[in-house]
Amino acid sequence: MSKSLRRALAALVLLGPSASAQVPQTGPTVQGFLFGDAIFTEADGTAPDGFQLGQIVGHANATLAERVLFFGEVSLTYRSGSYAVNMERAILRYDFSDALKVSVGRFHTPISFWNTAYHHGLWLQGSVARPEAVKFGTSFIPVHFVGAMVEGRLGNTPVHYMGGVGNGRSANGVGAQDGGDANRHRAVIVSASVQPASLLGFQVGGGLYLDRVPDSGTGATDERIWSGHAVWDRGPLDLVAEYIDVMHDPDDGASLGSSAYYLHGGVRLPGAWSAVTPYVRWEEIDVELADPVFGGAVPDYQAVVAGVRYDLDAPAALKAEYRREKVFSVDRDAFFVQASFAIPIGGQS
Amino acid sequence: MTRLVRTALICVSAFVSAAAAASAQSGSTAVAIVVHPATEVDDLPFGELRRIFRGERQFWDDGRRVTLLMRAPAAAERELVLDRIYGMDENDFREFWIGKMFRAEVAAGPKLVYSSDMARDLVTVIPGAITFVPVNDVSSESRVVRIDGLLPSDPGYALR
Repeated sequence: MSKSLRRALAALVLLGPSASAQVPQTGPTVQGFLFGDAIFTEADGTAPDGFQLGQIVGHANATLAERVLFFGEVSLTYRSGSYAVNMERAILRYDFSDALKVSVGRFHTPISFWNTAYHHGLWLQGSVARPEAVKFGTSFIPVHFVGAMVEGRLGNTPVHYMGGVGNGRSANGVGAQDGGDANRHRAVIVSASVQPASLLGFQVGGGLYLDRVPDSGTGATDERIWSGHAVWDRGPLDLVAEYIDVMHDPDDGASLGSSAYYLHGGVRLPGAWSAVTPYVRWEEIDVELADPVFGGAVPDYQAVVAGVRYDLDAPAALKAEYRREKVFSVDRDAFFVQASFAIPIGGQS
Repeated sequence: MTRLVRTALICVSAFVSAAAAASAQSGSTAVAIVVHPATEVDDLPFGELRRIFRGERQFWDDGRRVTLLMRAPAAAERELVLDRIYGMDENDFREFWIGKMFRAEVAAGPKLVYSSDMARDLVTVIPGAITFVPVNDVSSESRVVRIDGLLPSDPGYALR
């Protein structure tokens, strides 16, 4: 093949839908995914059940220049008779090197493995729903973080670090203070994980998050969260264990400690049944009910979850799940069937 | 010798010959790791090769971004790379890259190439590119990288 023909082909590859524009002269390129789900629920209690459309989430990765990247994520969620559009993530990043990548924007807080690994990508996770401690709308941990981050790999080690400073959570414990820090006291987060190249699929890590939560009428509260996780995700096995400890120290009152953990395990069946992955999860949250940040919205919680995932021959899966929960000492049962998918937009590997 | 025994011996003999031929063939399917001629790397530890192919290392020592050219599905060399480097099948591989993009770890997945010729040609014109081709398809222009100090022709080479 002649040199000029090769160059033309290279330009086509880099400019094509799967191109990452890793040479600056090709200009910005965008690649993304559309995640979504539909769910059927049969549950005890008075909450609505039946069929529901889950979140539809659009996710875009743009390469603006060789070292300048943008990641955006927008969700569409049904709430009280209409659909709400939310900016979930918007991250502008400059990659100096593998050891130093600097970004600003709105992130998934890296204080929980599940929160960053799966979050709105329901097709990616093994179960129907996230563990209660990191679920959608929880105030147990701040799931989103508005601020600046640095991250990278420490030399030639298998250690990946992240560190950030941001606004922290809002006074009601749920929001991420997108409009600025109400109490001018920045939240700080540091986390690290180890993924040895010689032990593919294994990861261990943890994080520490410090903040002062704004006054919600009962005084401001110092907050300290630490977490640890261990993961095995290779071949047929999918194992995740995570522990999160939350300490709140209100100006007026004694320190209050709460904690949560879950153990999740799935095993893909062999041979002709390889599309089927049965899974189980045990999870527990132990909270101080007088905690001023949780405001009674986070319950003492226990659950055992058992389900089966069936992967279609595409980025789509069906999951059926039984959940037995104890919420504020009240037992309840629920059964779910969920269809989830991820549609690639602009290229494949 | 009865006809039945003779037939059985012929079948066993044919099976052994076929297995030997298959074994010899698989022995010749070593995969060479090839980089852009200007990339200053001659030897990579296997662990570092894994990090590059898994998108955990995205820059060469000279600061240029790595561009991974990946053979499209159904090629024998892709299956070998998925098995040895990624430890995954096709479904796991797809989920792996979707997950990396979802977590904003990478902006895009590997670039697909549809033949060894295409891989071998493109890697010479895209700065920072790395790919893999069957050793028989390596040309004199290809910059082949040693893995743990070994070339594809050496005994003990990791990608065979």
